[in-house]
Amino acid sequence: MKYVNEADWDRIARVVLGIALLYLGWAGMVTGGWGTFLKIIGFLPLLTGLVGFCPAYALFKFRTNKTTA
Amino acid sequence: MTDPTLAERSATHPRPVIVDVWAPWCAPCRRMAPIVERLAGEYEGRVDVWKVNADEQPDEARRLRVLGIPTMIAFRGGQEVSRKVGAGSEADLRLLFEMAVSGQAPAPRGIALSDRLLRLAAGTALVLLGLTSGPSLLLQAVGGVVLFTAIADRCPVWQAVRPRLAALIGRGGTASPEV
Repeated sequence: MKYVNEADWDRIARVVLGIALLYLGWAGMVTGGWGTFLKIIGFLPLLTGLVGFCPAYALFKFRTNKTTA
Repeated sequence: MTDPTLAERSATHPRPVIVDVWAPWCAPCRRMAPIVERLAGEYEGRVDVWKVNADEQPDEARRLRVLGIPTMIAFRGGQEVSRKVGAGSEADLRLLFEMAVSGQAPAPRGIALSDRLLRLAAGTALVLLGLTSGPSLLLQAVGGVVLFTAIADRCPVWQAVRPRLAALIGRGGTASPEV
């Protein structure tokens, strides 16, 4: 069973954002401390987008997916 | 002695049963209610609809393994035939009623197409990024895993190995197919 609290558009936006952040970090577009930060933080939106579940949404009882409660 | 569960009651019930788990505060449940009522009327005498208020009967909802509402479960002869989680169209619900009548569950469909495409796109992007940046083995490995999750439900080797892995980590049992 799925426990998805993100709508499709939300998931796509997170995946695109995650890939973009990872690209900036791993491709060397941003270097130094910020580059390292992006290399790690990019996985966060990517993972939540792929899984469809955002713990922060759950914490604040918010959801963009309106098909389940 | 404890009361019989809904599944046990459905075993002795003369007709198939759709168990509708809902709550008054659940907006998707309220949207689905008229559709359920309409279909219940249409299938009167062939399928019965039992409502379970998740707030008033949390134990029953837990026994039915309900993690989100609305959840509708089709029982026939005490056996779960199929379940539908979340709001859906009348066609989705009609399929559930038909499955309750016939006892035939459709072949498991695996993950949704949108989910599959999203994973394929993300996995490909990660692998390409891994190949062009460094190359980075970490990104390639993560991309490979993401790509695999997109096709795992179609992989016969994984399907053969998965039950053994599940048994190994103590998660035996099979989930019923979802609508």
